[in-house]
Amino acid sequence: MPSPLRAAASNRAVIVLAAIVLVAVVAAAAILLLRGGGGEAETEAPQVQQAEEKFAGTIKIGASLSLTGRYSTEGTRTLAGALAVVEWINDNGGVEIGGKRYKLELIYYDDESQPDRVIAIVEKLIKEDGVKVLLAPYSSGLTAKAAPVAERYGVVMVSHGGASDKIFQQGYKYVVQVLTPASRYFQSTLDMIRKLDPDAKRLAIIYKESEFARTVAEGTREYAEKLGFEIVFFESYPADATDLTPILTKLKAAQPEIILGGGHFKDGVLLVKQMKEVGIKAKLIGILVAPAHPDFYKELGEIAETIVYPSQWEPSVKYSPENTPPGYEWYGPTIEEFVEYYNRVAAEVLGKPDLGLSYHAAEGGAAVLFIAKAIEEAQSLDPDRIRDAMNKIRIYTFFGKLQIDPETGLQIGHEMVVAQWQNGKRVVVWPEVVAEAAPVYPSPVWWED
Amino acid sequence: MVDPALVLSSVVTALLVGCIYGVLTLGLNIVFGVLRIVNVGFGAFVMLGAYITYFLYKDYGVNPLLTIPVSFAIGFALGYAMYYAAFRRLVGAPELSTLLATFAVGVLIQELARIAWSPDIRGFTWDIGVLELAGVRIVYSKVVAALSALAVVAGVYYLFTRTRFGLAVRAVVQDPEGAMVVGINVDRIYAVSMALGIGVTVAGGSILAIYLQQGIEPYMGIPYTLLAFVIAVMAGLGSILGSLYAGILFGFFEAASFLAFSMIKDALGLDILPYVLTRSAAFFLLLLTLLLKPEGLFRR
Repeated sequence: MPSPLRAAASNRAVIVLAAIVLVAVVAAAAILLLRGGGGEAETEAPQVQQAEEKFAGTIKIGASLSLTGRYSTEGTRTLAGALAVVEWINDNGGVEIGGKRYKLELIYYDDESQPDRVIAIVEKLIKEDGVKVLLAPYSSGLTAKAAPVAERYGVVMVSHGGASDKIFQQGYKYVVQVLTPASRYFQSTLDMIRKLDPDAKRLAIIYKESEFARTVAEGTREYAEKLGFEIVFFESYPADATDLTPILTKLKAAQPEIILGGGHFKDGVLLVKQMKEVGIKAKLIGILVAPAHPDFYKELGEIAETIVYPSQWEPSVKYSPENTPPGYEWYGPTIEEFVEYYNRVAAEVLGKPDLGLSYHAAEGGAAVLFIAKAIEEAQSLDPDRIRDAMNKIRIYTFFGKLQIDPETGLQIGHEMVVAQWQNGKRVVVWPEVVAEAAPVYPSPVWWED
Repeated sequence: MVDPALVLSSVVTALLVGCIYGVLTLGLNIVFGVLRIVNVGFGAFVMLGAYITYFLYKDYGVNPLLTIPVSFAIGFALGYAMYYAAFRRLVGAPELSTLLATFAVGVLIQELARIAWSPDIRGFTWDIGVLELAGVRIVYSKVVAALSALAVVAGVYYLFTRTRFGLAVRAVVQDPEGAMVVGINVDRIYAVSMALGIGVTVAGGSILAIYLQQGIEPYMGIPYTLLAFVIAVMAGLGSILGSLYAGILFGFFEAASFLAFSMIKDALGLDILPYVLTRSAAFFLLLLTLLLKPEGLFRR
């Protein structure tokens, strides 16, 4: 029944609807613009003008970082660390190619810790922003999402927050790593024990059933056997186990001298607590991830004493130009300079003066250093030449040694530092040249009655 | 040869943890038995109980045991309010509606907890000593938690079997219309039963917190939701003492399969993961139960 009145009404409805759609589209576009580009557009603009005088041009490094969502803390610290090193390099003459100096610029977008966003952002960075080198996103999961995209476009991507070995077993050519992979997490801990106690033999490994912890456990077993340890226990527990008493009773019966293992925070705390309940004795206990968190001591108190953990980096570690090992070249800021730039970037650029410093920041900074060094060595922005140059780099930085395996891109230079809870504080105890204090061994809390 | 200390420790752990499983399952089973509502939001209430114990002990120094009745009271009030706010309309509704409604309530509570208390993982230490028995150490706080669980189950059992309220509940379960005809306020029975079920679940959360003392966070209840379902199906949905028996049986089954898999591993030199396999073994038990005795192992 098409009456004129009705036609008019439906016409009006169409107009109203169109208006609503229009408003929605404009609003969405505005939100996208604000969220995507707002951050660096405001803060970087004044410096670009300055740069025109000193530098011959700008080299763009792209990054998809988790500034909101579940990895927001880690992602924001990574960003501040990367920006700190970018600023340090620019203040110290930039990157030199063919006798001309170029300024570094970090172009980044917030991926909200979402895999889909990561893929879209990496494509945008390559196709629209024209970046030639990428920082990987934070975490192994997101890095694994970004890697095939970088590979498809043939752009070099440096992983700084993805410790998984698996990413580097996919045959990617353009993906490399600056942090120690999971399989080597406990290597430095085992080295330390060998040095402290050449007679220690009986090693127990207990780990959470997860991809990360299993890679660590298997790598630990392999390396320990090389060092002459006897593996007296090697078992895993499910992530949601209510009570670990039975498996720990079994571990106790194996009479280990050294116990290494864990997984993440929640199970790590439970593991240590129940080890004490079961009455386990050990000269040394090393646990993944959990002890790095201040809450570890808050929850466990005295039994957290002397627990060691491997760490990618600690602010108190003492890497310096003076203790550069032979065969390596010092490169980049000192730790003091890094911390100074980091605090300034956090406060002035990101507006977060109380951001806090952790290894995530150092990893982000190390990735930028590795890229800058590779570009200088390659004397080019061509991805293939950058990637080739990376194979030859052997540098010593505020983050420690950096060197990659040419074949897979896995990090083989960087070592985990070993930290220990001593008198309610976390102190770096290994490697010796960068340690704050000597390790307490054997543990009075866990070994003596 | 299996280490005797390992066997003893496994038996003790099975008994202790089984009681905790039992009381948690009971909370789920009361709501299902009387209202025929499957509480998918179960884990959120467990979490709530754990936080109540944590805060009362850590911030006010309240003895963790005394937090159990507090949790029960809070859960009771919450369940009562929930019934009149939402679930009154859902009694007898299609299962999907009640599933969605309880799921929504669970998510809401979890997210509120996350906003209010942050996703930080918390823990406390309530150390009241250890008993040494033939080389096996039994932690007293775990024994206390298991005994509290038994006490709660006994209380609920008494309520349902020896009181006029229990008689009325059973009448409602058998025939709601008949119960109404003889003058039972069916609506009230539903309300109180829901309150009781949620109360027991929150109290169960407190008991769990006393047992573990660690890992208290907004999503901690999720694995226990699944666990309680499995045990409830084994018990027979709606069975009170069955919940306890099935909980303990489940604890023993976990322990036995760990021992068995360990022996197989050592004897044959197989590269298997004994402790991880216990969960799959438990679900195998569930499957067997459903095949052989679908009404539950402990249901008359």
